[in-house]
Amino acid sequence: MVNGMKGNEEIIRTNIHKAVIRAVTEISADVKGLLEEALARESNETAKSMLTSMLENLSIAKEGDKAVCQSPGYPTTWLTYGEGNFPGYVGEVVQEALAEATKKGYLRPSIVDPLTRHNPGNNTGKGVPNIEYKYVPGQDYVDFIISFKGCGAELGNAMKIFTTATLKLDKDFEGLKRFVLETAVNAGGKPCPPFGIGIGIGGQMDIAGKLSREAISTRKWNDTNPDPMLARLEEEMRDNINALGLGAAGTGGDTVCLAVKINTAATHTAIAPVCVNFHCWVARRAGVRIYDGGRVEQLL
Amino acid sequence: MAVYHLSTPLKEEDMRKLDVGDVVYLSGTIFTARDMAHLKIQGLLDRGAPLPKDFNGSAVFHAGPVCLKNEDGSWRLNVIGPTTSIRMEPYADMVGRLGVKAVLGKGGMAEDTVEACQTYGYVYFQAAPGCAAKLAQGVERIVDVNWFEMGMPEAVWHLEAKEFGPLVVGMDTKGRSIYAGLRKAALEKIDALYPA
Repeated sequence: MVNGMKGNEEIIRTNIHKAVIRAVTEISADVKGLLEEALARESNETAKSMLTSMLENLSIAKEGDKAVCQSPGYPTTWLTYGEGNFPGYVGEVVQEALAEATKKGYLRPSIVDPLTRHNPGNNTGKGVPNIEYKYVPGQDYVDFIISFKGCGAELGNAMKIFTTATLKLDKDFEGLKRFVLETAVNAGGKPCPPFGIGIGIGGQMDIAGKLSREAISTRKWNDTNPDPMLARLEEEMRDNINALGLGAAGTGGDTVCLAVKINTAATHTAIAPVCVNFHCWVARRAGVRIYDGGRVEQLL
Repeated sequence: MAVYHLSTPLKEEDMRKLDVGDVVYLSGTIFTARDMAHLKIQGLLDRGAPLPKDFNGSAVFHAGPVCLKNEDGSWRLNVIGPTTSIRMEPYADMVGRLGVKAVLGKGGMAEDTVEACQTYGYVYFQAAPGCAAKLAQGVERIVDVNWFEMGMPEAVWHLEAKEFGPLVVGMDTKGRSIYAGLRKAALEKIDALYPA
């Protein structure tokens, strides 16, 4: 076991470096599939042209070994671990990988001080990369997911602390649905549609925010929520948002939203915090599972 | 929906012919400018200080490219794509006063830009979002860069473009905005679906 763990450090380091490059030079296969489906059923000429450009862009980036988007967005990492396999060096390795990818032109240096706007030039800084650690008892592997989420999408985000009355619990959550749809209209073309939407519901403001990012960054956009009520809400909201006619790029068309993903946590009886979090179509992420024995599986 | 091929210096009369939905391919001078560059230009204009570039008849691209430095100190473009334009809305009038005739970006802009497009005869173009590898094929070279100290994304990059596009006219000189029209229709649909 001890030897296995030492051996894993090299495996984990190598896989983190590979994951960073893979994440920014292609998009998640599930999202690419949804884009192709959207193009096949699109009736608006401008939207067809936009979706065609997006799919062409993926091929050009892949062939040329280039970043699919000029903006690397903001990197967040999710790391889960079990007994005795906590890789305490992951923060340092991600930082190294980001700096190296920046130097090679895969990532534009885009992380700055929030007030002075000073750009250190290596995509790291205070609190960056952000790593969400989670201990899972009995887990004999380490899961590493890194997601680069663009920040035009952030300009469309919204949060509201609902109550039983404002949710409209008695009308199948019409208050929540209206808020999500209005937020989508206000976001318009800002989040690089066709976008995905992560909705975090529960906890307090901070928890709803994290749940929303986790939902859209770590779930496959074509999966089905195991909770039947949430699955129904996800599909209904996605279809109703698309029916608004905003379209790819926000210039009109049949598909502005590829997926809605809801993630919940228990909250206090007085409130229902809701965070609506957009993700551009450029779903840049990579995930790997590294077993204690050294076996590696691709998650995303 | 007409298709045009335009070159800089752009003429006001040509811009006034364009309608929302038209497609344009652009050749010639494109300057990138985003939040910090707009802020800096505003400051220089307020003080009556000279600008590093003549923006008359030019295209301004809301974008921050990924560039690599050559051994001889010159730059080459890796990828480039549009950033979210609404952040530059406070400078709608200033951009018109500079003589800029084409603003390129994504997501559209708001009422001040609708007005400035009519007043000054400039047009807002939507580039395909997230398509940086494809759009880079329309840039022949980087001429130079100003204000690199503001960081790679925020600097003003002087690009020479050839058939850069496709660009869709999102806001024309006749007071029309694709985005405003879609927004109004969408809000009406929401009201019908879930009365407030």
